[in-house]
Amino acid sequence: MDEDVLTTLKILIIGESGVGKSSLLLRFTDDTFDPELAATIGVDFKVKTISVDGNKAKLAIWDTAGQERFRTLTPSYYRGAQGVILVYDVTRRDTFVKLDNWLNELETYCTRNDIVNMLVGNKIDKENREVDRNEGLKFARKHSMLFIEASAKTCDGVQCAFEELVEKIIQTPGLWESENQNKGVKLSHRDEAHGGGACGGYCSVL
Amino acid sequence: MAADGEPESEVFEITDFTTASEWERFISKVEEVLNDWKLIGNSLGKPLEKGIFTSGTWEEKSDEISFADFKFSITHHYLVQESIDKEGKDELLEDTIPQSMQDLLCMNNDFPPRAHCLVRWYGLREFVVIAPAANNDAVLSESKCNLLLSSVSIVLGNTGCQVPLFVQIHHKWRRMYVGECQGPGVRTDFEMVHLRKVPNQYTHLSGLLDIFKSKIGCPLTPLPPVSIAIRFTYVLQDWQQYFWPQQPPDLDALVGGEVGGLEFGKLPFGACEDPISELHLATTWPHLTEGIIVDNDVYSDLDPIQAPHWSVRVRKADNPQCLLGDFVAEFFKICRRKESTDEILGRSTFEEEGREIADITHALSKLTEPAPVPIHKLSVSNMVHTAKKKIRKHRGVEESPLNNDVLNTILLFLFPDATSEKLLDGTSVTDNNNPPPDSEEYNLYNQFKSAPSDSLTYKLALCLCMINFYHGGLKGVAHLWQEFVLEMRFRWENNFLIPGLASGPPDLRCCLLHQKLQMLNCCIERKKTRDDGVKTSPSDKITNTYSGDAGKAGSQLGPDNLKDTDKEKGEVGKSWDSWSDSEEEFFECLSDTEELKGNGQESSKKGGPKEIANLKPEGRLRQHGKLTLLHNGEPLYIPVTQEPAPMTEDLLEEQSEVLAKLGTSAEGAHLRARMQSACLLSDMESFKAANPGCFLEDFVRWYSPRDYIEEEVIDEKGNIVLKGELSARMKIPSNMWVEAWETAKPIPARRQRRLFDDTREAEKVLHYLAVQKPADLARHLLPCVIHAAVLKVKEEENLENISSVKKIIKQIISHSSKVLHFPNPEDKKLEEIIHQITSVEAIIARARSLKAKFGTERCEQEEEKEDLERFVSCLLEQPEVLVIGAGRGHAGRIIHKLFVSAQRLTESSDEAAAMSLPEEELKKMGSSEERRQHSLSDFPPPAGRELILRTTVPRPAPYSRALPQRMYSVLTKEDFRLAGAFSSDTSFF
Repeated sequence: MDEDVLTTLKILIIGESGVGKSSLLLRFTDDTFDPELAATIGVDFKVKTISVDGNKAKLAIWDTAGQERFRTLTPSYYRGAQGVILVYDVTRRDTFVKLDNWLNELETYCTRNDIVNMLVGNKIDKENREVDRNEGLKFARKHSMLFIEASAKTCDGVQCAFEELVEKIIQTPGLWESENQNKGVKLSHRDEAHGGGACGGYCSVL
Repeated sequence: MAADGEPESEVFEITDFTTASEWERFISKVEEVLNDWKLIGNSLGKPLEKGIFTSGTWEEKSDEISFADFKFSITHHYLVQESIDKEGKDELLEDTIPQSMQDLLCMNNDFPPRAHCLVRWYGLREFVVIAPAANNDAVLSESKCNLLLSSVSIVLGNTGCQVPLFVQIHHKWRRMYVGECQGPGVRTDFEMVHLRKVPNQYTHLSGLLDIFKSKIGCPLTPLPPVSIAIRFTYVLQDWQQYFWPQQPPDLDALVGGEVGGLEFGKLPFGACEDPISELHLATTWPHLTEGIIVDNDVYSDLDPIQAPHWSVRVRKADNPQCLLGDFVAEFFKICRRKESTDEILGRSTFEEEGREIADITHALSKLTEPAPVPIHKLSVSNMVHTAKKKIRKHRGVEESPLNNDVLNTILLFLFPDATSEKLLDGTSVTDNNNPPPDSEEYNLYNQFKSAPSDSLTYKLALCLCMINFYHGGLKGVAHLWQEFVLEMRFRWENNFLIPGLASGPPDLRCCLLHQKLQMLNCCIERKKTRDDGVKTSPSDKITNTYSGDAGKAGSQLGPDNLKDTDKEKGEVGKSWDSWSDSEEEFFECLSDTEELKGNGQESSKKGGPKEIANLKPEGRLRQHGKLTLLHNGEPLYIPVTQEPAPMTEDLLEEQSEVLAKLGTSAEGAHLRARMQSACLLSDMESFKAANPGCFLEDFVRWYSPRDYIEEEVIDEKGNIVLKGELSARMKIPSNMWVEAWETAKPIPARRQRRLFDDTREAEKVLHYLAVQKPADLARHLLPCVIHAAVLKVKEEENLENISSVKKIIKQIISHSSKVLHFPNPEDKKLEEIIHQITSVEAIIARARSLKAKFGTERCEQEEEKEDLERFVSCLLEQPEVLVIGAGRGHAGRIIHKLFVSAQRLTESSDEAAAMSLPEEELKKMGSSEERRQHSLSDFPPPAGRELILRTTVPRPAPYSRALPQRMYSVLTKEDFRLAGAFSSDTSFF
């Protein structure tokens, strides 16, 4: 099965503690919801193969702990990620306000500059919403991110979020090339054809 | 075509191709190709605009055809034009002559700077060439040539194609073409003469006019006037008054004790030879009429100074030797060397080093207690001497690769803190020419994955580059590296911080080697802190020059670093500097005073600590804002915690691989969490120690505030009370947090097991450094070298301000940042980058050469100076530049002067030569031609004379149609060519 996998993509889920990062991931990978999911310690890791536009992509998804104290540890895992899912809780404004800090952190620690970011407003099934959809949209536009609202509990938007992100990464040239280089598979061979030294009769008189 | 299925009885006309000859087949193939390319019929384009041959786009289509087994390529060359309106085609007149014939007379594109030779000779916008496909094939025999020409004739006749069709004959280098163009009732023959030696009568206008006229054989008298265009090209090779100033740097000067650290931090720049080899001046008389001027074998009116048009082109030296490019390319070559350091320096040279490496396992086993290492009172220079001695010993008389002075200078440049006294006064030795932090240039390391331009790694890269080039090549590199590794070990063993590295954990945006050095620094830092704590009380601290420096070395790196570390240390809010300066240490906190103070405060507020179990709080950092412990209302203290282990990217990779390998099962996830819970556990223990009698709820409120949910509840008395509890997920029985909390004992950070084993990590780094081959090293540091080269090119460009170069530099940066971010960039891509850098260097060197030659700096009048600068930059970017005002303009006068002075020198040397030359040589030299030129002007004889003669006359009979006739002649030193296009009426002759 691995043979027809186009590429392996590293994806990172970050955000304040308790916004539902692990729940989103669990919903995506196992299609289940566990209201009593233990708080993540350090980083956790899940794999899923999905197919986008007929291309199979293997996703290695790193789920991180949101607690401040772990933050000295987790940036190390930002390295080499091609996509980042930044999660906030629509029922807790403070998780939305802190998004700027997370973006700063991303900017500092990400090794790539063309990484694809996605903003996810989670827990839209809850009634006590504090952050309006438009605010999320505005924030995402300002920072050129993908945006979606989702609920890990009701399954809304979860699948869609991951698919969209992967599609975007695959469309971004250069983002997943390195993976292929390492595997020795080349999809596009861009050989510079310029600079053919032959004069071909185009010469000046002298 | 012979249909098999037809009944035999029915006899129809059968066209039989079975006996077609090779020749017929060849002709039909050519016809087929012309049909495919839709070159049939007449299509008139727009009249040619001035200069369109240069500014427009030329394209070509090719196909292969064969005549028997001889392969030909057939190529259609054409100027891309907007498609002509259909309306134009409607009024296609029977008697319009083909486009190409009309183009023969067009004067808008004479002497194009760069074009196919047939375009240059005949002024064509479109033509088809049949040439032998293989480069060394040639059609030599006359009968074959004629056969081909006949084929062309037949093809054009059969198809009605009006595009001229040429055949290349003779050897390819002779560029001999014959061809034909046919239109309704008209035909043009393209003929050519190519000679090595010029018959005397063809060296001037009047002789050529005679040939032209006789060739036309026009029966009319008087002959319609012939229009003439002439271009003489003069070549200037001797730049007399101007010598290329750049010499390759003087090796001896560098070696002979003059080496300053600064030289090692700077890359050389510029071309070693003049990157501009020749200047070609083309003087053009675009439109003359016969009779206006005289040019024969005794006299000529054609004085270049008087020519109405001047244009100039420069010939660039093919591959000028450029210092910076060479430098980087040579360094890159190390990447391909396979030898190890030992092999290069002689196996036994550093056997001690070898033993140390072998000792590593031993060292690792002793890790738990940090054994104090005996401090040798060694300085860098001591080290140098011992290392040198070692080398000497093992090699006998043979010189060590690096001369002592050079090595010392380099080491001092890399480790400025070794000259301790100078530095103690606090003056920092930050590099003079570094871009300010936060600037785009400073942050280039981020894109290149190199290292900051003021870092040790970057300087090391430059030094190795320099040594590779000037001081012993690969051996020198191996030697310096060996020294460097020794110095690293020395610093580790003696607790001297490595200078020139940002403090804090390894910066993952830098190259791995830089991260390793930072890692080593982290280890030294912790070991030093620990050792200082163990050995000294504050009063009798070792007065060690190094330790003083180390602090400064850290702080000299500027506010940038402090900021970074602040960011990283989020919660703790302390930078490494302050850790090492103050006495609040992790492992052996002796600051009784501080704790006493803390206790005092506490007791004054809260009636004494007696009621808190019998535990004395330990390892407090500071009080948490408002929070108090739940059970007794004591203030909640944030404990001093252990820093998480710093990691380099390879360690990180390893660790994430291990974590990933645990799989995605529940057990895997559990195990993963457990593996990472060491930090959590340590924090819990510290917290318990700082807050005796606390609960998990207290810890969670500090550590993960969102997992403590507070609700306003109305109690029995009707008051609103805040009631809090742990979140659901924290209450899951035996979840990792609860489990850890239960196991955690109240132990302050300084007495906990170390999360980060600095001894082991340091040994790992040192081992890693020691086993790097020069090739590995070069690969590690190549990004730094490229980074430095780009900065250098940028700096030089700033002085010259060449817009095209700016663009290329931008491309280089974006290109390299893509290439260098991958773990193992392909050699080909790296070479490409280096090549780009070299070519930019050459462009800048050319600009400088031209500016010096034209003396733009000496120019006094502002306006003229601007014009001149514009002219010079045009020379760099365009194939040919018009000189405004020709010989009388400002630039023209300068060019004139250049020729005059070059001319004077040749004359004087000619005279000298003439004295010693035999009679015949003298005669040859003094041919009428040369004499004529010398008497006329300050210019040498033209290197190329081009002439175009044009007229419209009826041919072959007086009553034929008047048709375009053209003859082009070019005369250079090596050859002479006449290219004639003579049209004749095929209906009325």
